[in-house]
Amino acid sequence: MKNTSRRDFLKLSTNSLLACAGLLGIGGLIRYLSYQFDPTPPGEFEIGPAGDYPLHSRTILAHIPAIVIHDEEGLHVRSLTCTHLGCTVEERNFGFECPCHSSRYDPVGQVIKGPAGSALRKLRVVKSEDGNLHVFTG
Amino acid sequence: MSTTPQPTSNRKDRLLLHRLLFATPVAIVLLMAMVLTTPNVQASPRVQSTATPTPQPTPTFDVQRLEKPVIADDNSEQVQKGSIIYWGICMACHGDQGQGLTEEWRDAFGPQDRNCWQKGCHGTDHPPEGFLIPKKMVIPAVAGSSRLTRFKNAQELHDFILANMPWWDPGQLTDEEAWQVTSYILRLHEVMPLEFELKESNASAIRTQYAVPQPGDDRPAILTLTGILALAGIGMIAQDLRKNRPRATERPNFFHHLHPPTVPALQARLRYTLGVGGLAAFLCLILLVTGILEMFYYIPVPEHAAVSVEVIASLVPFGALIRNLHFWSAQALMIVMSIHLLRVVLTGAYARHRRLNYLIGLGMLLLVTLLDFTGYVLRWDEGIRWALIVGTNLLKTVPWIGDSLYQLAVGGPEPALSSLERFYTWHIFVLTLAMIVLGAWHIFRVRRDGGVAVPPPEQRKEEARITRFDLVRREVSIMLVAGVILLFVSTMFPAPIERPITQNTIDVVAGAHTARAPWFFLWVQQLLKFGDPFLWGVALPVLLLIGLALLPYMLPQAGSHELGRWFPRGNRLAQVILIAIASMLIVLTVLSILPDLQL
Repeated sequence: MKNTSRRDFLKLSTNSLLACAGLLGIGGLIRYLSYQFDPTPPGEFEIGPAGDYPLHSRTILAHIPAIVIHDEEGLHVRSLTCTHLGCTVEERNFGFECPCHSSRYDPVGQVIKGPAGSALRKLRVVKSEDGNLHVFTG
Repeated sequence: MSTTPQPTSNRKDRLLLHRLLFATPVAIVLLMAMVLTTPNVQASPRVQSTATPTPQPTPTFDVQRLEKPVIADDNSEQVQKGSIIYWGICMACHGDQGQGLTEEWRDAFGPQDRNCWQKGCHGTDHPPEGFLIPKKMVIPAVAGSSRLTRFKNAQELHDFILANMPWWDPGQLTDEEAWQVTSYILRLHEVMPLEFELKESNASAIRTQYAVPQPGDDRPAILTLTGILALAGIGMIAQDLRKNRPRATERPNFFHHLHPPTVPALQARLRYTLGVGGLAAFLCLILLVTGILEMFYYIPVPEHAAVSVEVIASLVPFGALIRNLHFWSAQALMIVMSIHLLRVVLTGAYARHRRLNYLIGLGMLLLVTLLDFTGYVLRWDEGIRWALIVGTNLLKTVPWIGDSLYQLAVGGPEPALSSLERFYTWHIFVLTLAMIVLGAWHIFRVRRDGGVAVPPPEQRKEEARITRFDLVRREVSIMLVAGVILLFVSTMFPAPIERPITQNTIDVVAGAHTARAPWFFLWVQQLLKFGDPFLWGVALPVLLLIGLALLPYMLPQAGSHELGRWFPRGNRLAQVILIAIASMLIVLTVLSILPDLQL
């Protein structure tokens, strides 16, 4: 580099400056495109009093989507969103099946057959003061 | 369905009510008769009502008008069947003209029964088989101005009827019968165009609050256009076949100037080029024009997107043609470009200085795949829901940058308004612009590289050359043939559209909608069934693309003397690899649809 002429130096610095400007521009573009103005979807759903879900009942709540299972172990709620890539699973006689890539789950949501790697998510349920149950998807 | 006859009641006065209540089985019989005699159905079929006793007229109501269904002056089978179901099931409460349970309509029941629901004799303690007249409910009119306001369009009305009517036995109607009743009610309501068959793919376009202009019949015009183009194509081909055609007396126009004055005849053999490059350019042109035309009606907002597509496809004059042309050209483009890629590799045409153009072409194939996917998503109907969710969730699986990629693509926490806007912008502008730039560059490189790959002049056996006039004429012939085929396919096979995605109505009901990827991604859907989503759904397809891009750089090429023919020895390895990849994709695609075929 000791033979660098003034001309070469000028050329190198100009190009580096242009490259910096370009990088800054790309950074700005990514920030511009990453802004979110859509509201975050609701993470809490009120599903009515526990009495609506008697023992041995299975109730699908399509809007969450989730299933309320009331068995010997008590009342628990499983998400119906497939843990593989997010399709909503459908109820079958063996449990649940995903329409997208045929993952299978047993009636309480454990994986029978992949590609799904983990069980249907267990959702937190809280009983509020007015006696209604609240399900949290977050 | 029967009420126990009261010994003290006046049977003559009750006859009419009974007649209405017994009408359902009669209607079913009539419906079956209609189905059996459908080919002979005329504008006003004779419906026999001899199975029921003749009603006795009451002084205030002309019961003559109840004798048989009022069939609309529309010889659509759907409306006619709907009128019979309405007459048999709905009319008792909603009136023969859709007026609802008005005072006048109550008169039709006779003095004994007209106030029955107030006295409570048909209350809830009635035997379960009985016909309960709702006591407290207001029975609404279903036709007339400012009626049906709770439904935006025919789809919503249909869904309501299917789920809730008849009110004493909801779910009794089949989906098809619900369409028939919807169709008839909207005719009564005078918003339904004539000769219009309601179905899931067009019902959102029919609003309940205003009548859309009567759509015309496009077929004669399309047929004429197809015929003219076919004749022109025959003319073009005939010109090409003429032996002593005048040479070079024509003045070259703009399109001629896009070509060299003459090209070696070797470069213009259809059995070598297959004409796929030119065909792809032609399809791009059709896509550009039809796409711009669709933009005049398409609304990229979730509540309106699928509805506006249905409007284009079912109401706008030639809208169906334009949409179907756009759809079929896009599908054809995928196939034509894949054949082009196969052709280039199987003839070794990418050798040496043409390597760069091979990469540009591969880039265009990628762009078209993205264009096809974004265009598919723009439908924003139930058919695309899962492909959209899977496609965007796949981005999340990429290590490190997954969430940012998802953010960039979806523009929010989940697919919604911003995502549709983004897909729209990518589809109509960014990707299209990139496609135009790469396309122009690609064609420029073909010229710069000396045209279609053939051996250098000193190694050629055939010296003949053809003029650009002949070349352009051949190109136009292929375009005309392709155009006629496209017009035919677009008339015969409509592009898919399903019901709009609406908020919070996700069907968990099994098999309500297919969860199928678009056909060009079926192989990815099959791969995803194997396991880890990132490895199978992202890494493998990307590696495949990189592998294709490296073919000309890593593997032996065809020698220059071998160019211009199929299966040269020089690049055998690349040929084998490409055929293996192509077969693998086809096998995966077949595997993914196999379970459905067996069902």
